[in-house]
Amino acid sequence: MIQVHGVSKRFASLVLDDVHLSVPRGSLVGLVGPGASGKSVLVKAITGLVRPDAGRIVVDGQELTSLGELELQAARARFGMLFQQNALFDFMTVEGNVAFPLRRLTTLAEPEIRARARDRLARVGLAGFEDRMPAALSGGQKKRVGIARATITDAPIRLYDEPAAGLDPVTSQKIFDLLREEQRAAGATAIMISSDVDRLLSVVDRIVMMVRGRVVFDGPVDGARSSENAMVRQFLRGETEGPL
Amino acid sequence: MSAFATRVGRSAITAGLQAADVYRLFARTLYYVFRGRRSRGATLEQLYLIGNKSLFFMTTVMGFLGMITVFQAGLQLERVVPDTSQLGASFAELLVRNFAPDIGAMMLATRVGAGIAAEIGSMAVTEQLDALRMSAADPIDFLVVPRFLASLVMTAVLVIWGAAVAEGVGLLTGWSVFDIRPGTFFNLMMVDVGDVVVGLAKCFAYGAAIPLLSAHMGLRAYGGSEGVGSATTNAVVASSFAVIVLNAIISAAGFLVFPQ
Amino acid sequence: MIAGAAVRAVSGIGSAFLGIALEVGSFGVLTARLARRLAPPDFDGTELRKNFYRMGVRSLPIVLATALFTGFIMTIQAGVVIGRYDAEGLIGWAAGFVTLREVGPILIALMFSGRVGANNTAELATMTVTEQVDGLRALAIDPLSYLVLPRVIAMVVLLFLLTVWGDLFALIGAAVMGEVMLGVSRHVFLRGLLDMLGLWDLATGLIKSAAFGLMIAIASCHFGLSVKGGAPGVGRAVNASVVAAAAGVFVVDYFLTYLLR
Repeated sequence: MIQVHGVSKRFASLVLDDVHLSVPRGSLVGLVGPGASGKSVLVKAITGLVRPDAGRIVVDGQELTSLGELELQAARARFGMLFQQNALFDFMTVEGNVAFPLRRLTTLAEPEIRARARDRLARVGLAGFEDRMPAALSGGQKKRVGIARATITDAPIRLYDEPAAGLDPVTSQKIFDLLREEQRAAGATAIMISSDVDRLLSVVDRIVMMVRGRVVFDGPVDGARSSENAMVRQFLRGETEGPL
Repeated sequence: MSAFATRVGRSAITAGLQAADVYRLFARTLYYVFRGRRSRGATLEQLYLIGNKSLFFMTTVMGFLGMITVFQAGLQLERVVPDTSQLGASFAELLVRNFAPDIGAMMLATRVGAGIAAEIGSMAVTEQLDALRMSAADPIDFLVVPRFLASLVMTAVLVIWGAAVAEGVGLLTGWSVFDIRPGTFFNLMMVDVGDVVVGLAKCFAYGAAIPLLSAHMGLRAYGGSEGVGSATTNAVVASSFAVIVLNAIISAAGFLVFPQ
Repeated sequence: MIAGAAVRAVSGIGSAFLGIALEVGSFGVLTARLARRLAPPDFDGTELRKNFYRMGVRSLPIVLATALFTGFIMTIQAGVVIGRYDAEGLIGWAAGFVTLREVGPILIALMFSGRVGANNTAELATMTVTEQVDGLRALAIDPLSYLVLPRVIAMVVLLFLLTVWGDLFALIGAAVMGEVMLGVSRHVFLRGLLDMLGLWDLATGLIKSAAFGLMIAIASCHFGLSVKGGAPGVGRAVNASVVAAAAGVFVVDYFLTYLLR
């Protein structure tokens, strides 16, 4: 369960403006909005990577906003995050990347860690890629390594930032299906950001739309499709005329 | 005039905030030096990388520095006092106390400082630092501490090596250009405790300041290749300037503590 | 085992030298191509003025601060020796000679290289990796005339002027420190300076600074234009540029010291 209460954050300008959001346990919520609407910052605030100026964030009953950096490190063990640009460690092999969270966050023995990393890579279709360096992979392969790393700890909270950015439609669909399947199997609570709105609507339980740092819509997928809100209608239909 | 005052005031505030950030970075680095759980061998790897990357550069620069200094000093001595027997000994003192640590550290500020900022800055703009944080690997523990420790050790090692190179090249220059007996360069009579203490204090101060300032610039990099570029530039300027300011402070303190 | 290590070491040194020879050769080629655009002058005047202003504003404060501290340091360091011989009258000469001829131009050049040279590499490298340089070529604009030559001219002239001001600040710093730390009055300092130093001491330092400016500018532009590989590539280019500029400054200094006795 993720609860966001009145969170605001200002960098050069206001990027999060009194955001309220609640993601029930075991559900998958899609987060959409035009560019620079604060989606990525909100996700980073939930993991504590960005500290909000105001408001509270509570994850599974624990308030994260009041924790110090060292306590936050421990709390982050329950998150699995897929980054927009994958953020693979370019100085480690593919297997090293996938095994890294297990090495840092668990006390598993080394052979067990390696076995799990290989198994996880096989599940995203990358068996045999263990010893490659990330720089030698294609965009889709990097994304799948990122997914393997984000899911390896079976984290109860998952955050996916643009899992299909820059990928062809077939690969995108495979990745969406894979993430949905993983999330259901683990019973995880998840937020997924994507600009591929149609595909996103086909997998999520609920949809949240942000514009200029504010939540303008929060409801079921069908509700979004039939929404009277002008911004939501314009965004979902991709029209050029409207309030956006 | 008031626009100028505003600018000065704003830079002063920014500088103050940055100094506070660097101080916090220093405190957390020290904490992790004792309490961290970075991978074994990370510091060894950095020792190798810093030493290996800088050795050739340091040798070249200090070699030329030795030639330039003895050449200039010899020319002046021929004009003022025709006695060149003291030149070797003075040169050794100058190297230990000033030239080797000061010029050597200026060089390491560009080589090592820019390297650290470029590396950590690239990781910052590609979200790798956030990915580290997500796995409970604080970038300060994982990246900064090994570079800090390695730089502390390697600055001293490289400065001593640089001093030896400059001494050797200076000896050859003095011998071949001014006919100074090579034996006089081995005269360490003028190198006293004060020189060695000041020289070593400088090595440690520079060795700590360069990686901290450069890591600070790298950690706060944002915005693609431009961000990495400006982090690297700022790291070179900040660490070079830190070397100059620390030099003035330590030289003044050394002068007061060890008056000749 | 030992033979293998020796072979590796020798081949390592060999390839390092080849690499350096290649870079030095590229500096030469770039300098020649730029020189051809000087006669008759073919460069963008607006760009020149813009760069001159930008680089000047960017580097003036740090250069003057560096110069002031250099003056402090030179006096303290000379003081250690001067105190031993009881030769107060020499302090102006010693600090002045070292500052004007060697340390002033070198430290100011190193600082300039960090502030302006590195920044210039970062800018050119970013323009190269984001294909802006190719964009200029596509518009039939010569990147060397439009982008590079104005920057090189601005850097050479600017470092020369900054060294004139820097020398002044360094000498002020040296005189102040002499009075505060060593108790040598500024009149004694000034007499030592003026009696024993000539215009030639000032001139050699300034000639050197112009040469350093060219060295820094060429290294900075060369590494900026030959960058490869995205954001990490930009970082590496900046690193390579400041290192080459720093080593180049000392090499150039040696030859000029020899020539300008």
